[in-house]
Amino acid sequence: MPEAFVPLTDFVNKSKSIPRDHPLDKPVAKWIEEEILDGEVVEAGVVILRTRGCYWSIKEGCSMCGYFNDTVPGGVSDDMLREQWRKVRPILKGKKYAKIYTSGSFIDPTEVPFDFADEVMSDMSDMGIEKVLIESLPEFVTPKNFAYTNSPKLEIAIGLESSSPVVLDKSVNKRLRWPHFVKVCKLARDNGAEVKAYILLKPPYLSEKEGIEDAVQSAIDAAPHVDKISINPVNVQKNTVVEKLWFRNEWTAPWLWSVVEVLQKCEDLPVRVYSDPTGGGTRRGAHNCHDCNKKVLEALKNHRLGLGELKGLHCNCKSRWKALVNQSKLRRNGSEPHGYRSGFTGGRHF
Amino acid sequence: MEPIGHEGLGRLLKLEDNLQTPHVVFSHSDLEESKDLESGGTITIGKKFNLPPSPLGLDSEKSPYLQLSENIAVIDNAYSIQPKKLVEIAKEFRLEAGYSRLIYAPAVEPSQMPILAYLGVDIFDDLNVELRSSTGWVLESGEWIKQNKQIEDLFSHNREELNRWISRIRNAISNGKLRELVELTSLHNPRVSQILYYSTSLLIEKGARVHSKIRSNDLSLNHPAILDFQDRLSNYEPPAKGMVLLILPCSARKPYFKSSSHKRFFNALREVDNYLALHVVSVTSPLGLVPRELEFCYPAAHYDIAVTGQWNASEIEMLRSQLAKLNLKQNYTKAIVHAGSSSKIMTNLIKELGIDVVDTRVEKPSSYEGLEILQNIARMSLSDVPLLNTKDRAKGEATGLAKFQYGDNSNFLVKSEISGRMPYKLRCGDLAAMSPVVGGFGLTLKGGIEYSSQGGPTIIAETFKLIGDLFAVGVKSYEGSWNIGDQVVIKQNGTVTGVGIAKMMPEEMIAMKRGIAVEVRHHA
Ligand SMILES: [Zn+2]
Repeated sequence: MPEAFVPLTDFVNKSKSIPRDHPLDKPVAKWIEEEILDGEVVEAGVVILRTRGCYWSIKEGCSMCGYFNDTVPGGVSDDMLREQWRKVRPILKGKKYAKIYTSGSFIDPTEVPFDFADEVMSDMSDMGIEKVLIESLPEFVTPKNFAYTNSPKLEIAIGLESSSPVVLDKSVNKRLRWPHFVKVCKLARDNGAEVKAYILLKPPYLSEKEGIEDAVQSAIDAAPHVDKISINPVNVQKNTVVEKLWFRNEWTAPWLWSVVEVLQKCEDLPVRVYSDPTGGGTRRGAHNCHDCNKKVLEALKNHRLGLGELKGLHCNCKSRWKALVNQSKLRRNGSEPHGYRSGFTGGRHF
Repeated sequence: MEPIGHEGLGRLLKLEDNLQTPHVVFSHSDLEESKDLESGGTITIGKKFNLPPSPLGLDSEKSPYLQLSENIAVIDNAYSIQPKKLVEIAKEFRLEAGYSRLIYAPAVEPSQMPILAYLGVDIFDDLNVELRSSTGWVLESGEWIKQNKQIEDLFSHNREELNRWISRIRNAISNGKLRELVELTSLHNPRVSQILYYSTSLLIEKGARVHSKIRSNDLSLNHPAILDFQDRLSNYEPPAKGMVLLILPCSARKPYFKSSSHKRFFNALREVDNYLALHVVSVTSPLGLVPRELEFCYPAAHYDIAVTGQWNASEIEMLRSQLAKLNLKQNYTKAIVHAGSSSKIMTNLIKELGIDVVDTRVEKPSSYEGLEILQNIARMSLSDVPLLNTKDRAKGEATGLAKFQYGDNSNFLVKSEISGRMPYKLRCGDLAAMSPVVGGFGLTLKGGIEYSSQGGPTIIAETFKLIGDLFAVGVKSYEGSWNIGDQVVIKQNGTVTGVGIAKMMPEEMIAMKRGIAVEVRHHA
């Protein structure tokens, strides 16, 4: 594993806090959303199971990730996991597509015991679910960790975050290395799974322009090795380095225009590249001005579902975005003055 | 680079190509992006310099706070760091950057430039001005206004205005009025006023003591020179024990003893027997109390204030604490208050301290009627007080002044043969004489030798014939410490060859190749 960049590791640890008590028998969340399956828009059942959480976040963690806030440090017993599963089954019934998240790696057997995972995979298969998305750190992507007795088609989402070692070391604090990522993508695909890559847009410390450039380059690098790419604009999660920098106004969440720009630059790549910004349109998520947030988010959703294009979007704030991007590297961080996106008019707008 | 002016921790530097700091770089022409995340781009200030890389992965609240390249030190996030933390960081500026690097604060709002310059930042840019311009705001004297009139090429217009603003900051340093500009920008800017508030002790500790006039307002209660003066009053002793304290009002003219009102007080009082046993202390805002011997000391002779005759609660508190430093009960037998509109409050405060006090209750202290009453009360008060002769009085005055000025290092002056009398003729043997320029006792060359041997601040210069001022290029090393404006001793080859007033900070003298290090007052 590559060495730590100590100041950032310290900063990550300092920013964390112990998660508050959660009920063990209830999942973190469950909902239904639209997705594409074999070129068709379908309903997908989405579930977040509460587990012990990501092994990496217990050790150090990533600078932008606050999912540990939803975890149970002492771990969740098999009985409680089964209880959670019982509660989420209704939402999965009748769906062709399921997304089973934990706040960590579904195929880390120390986080989600293999027997339990094998059970729920069979259950979903019996329900008629055709495809299931799970997430994992690359280090757990080995065939025995997902050699299920019976399961829907597997889609493993891996947080690549960036293909740049500098960004991984000094911005994200993730000890992933490009050759290893390429290796596990092949391993997953050789064993019947599809791979989805998560790529960050504007991780902490990076300026708007550096964020765009890094996301585009990472997508270009990843495209040959994966089946689809989700561009994840960094949002402000609780008790993270990102939140600290955001409070100090040393970094702001990326603009939706930047998301649009990255997707347009990735149009010619051989895989689907799309984005569903977490917290989009709020101060903690990717946003533009209050006049166009809704419009642009709607366009991104249509683009994601293959129902529309990103061309022809316009708002007065776009020239402001352009002015910021052009000078953003000179600012030496990801900041911009308060109220800039709305032209410094009005009080609490952003 | 050559330092040509200082105020607070800020400096007016002459650079090559006729440039001066504080200086603003224009992003389109003077700043170049870095090629990758781990390098820093360039900045052009006359010449092109490398910038240090941006602070990737670092916590801005942890030291080291500055990013360094060979010639530039960048204080990232200066626009947003918490005011208290920013001041803590400013304290470390020169330790981290030294004096030969220029300190650059990127993306700062124009309204924050004066306070940052006051804390030592040399270089600013127009990045925020560009963003504001793109949203239609017009820069005017450091503030953003929305104007209905359309301005063609608003960015150029605002850049020119930014240039004027920076040149105003430079002029302020060169005229010793940067503090005024900072106070002005702080009035409606909570961030600036907080930074200013937290800066006080740093400015007292490390700031240049520039003898420029203080034109006071409510903010001046926190002026470093004023707090420093008030603080030093604890080191002060009245000329003799058992004197009668006489509280007089201050005057517009400084020093007070030169004003017509104080001349009238003096002429009336010297007709009274044993008038030397009266100790005159003037009451004033924002300084509080100024004993007669200290009237030359900075800033007692260098401030203006709109006199309203009203004392607010914080000023009363300040007067109370200044009176306490005079140790009334031990030092005086009684007190007379003859201070017009301030009489009532002073009388009450003195009563609190438990000595007898008479209020002359005169509304116009320097009127004929007022002077007559003062004379009568002084006569009565002095009748049972031990006689004080001229010689003892002068010795006491010299001791009080020396202690106030030199603190623990004042013994060599106190032990010398005191002669002459206040204000101009007072001398400490052949060691020191009154000097309005120095603002108290100015050391002679002999005084310098003594001072140096007692641990007074000493500069070791290269061996050459010292004529005129000492330049930084001639400074080899130093002993002790000082602030700009303090008296220092110059030694060459082991012997004292000059005394004068420091014009640079200790490390700055070592780092600079140009500029006056010591304004020499006496040569060997
Ligand atoms: Zn907009």
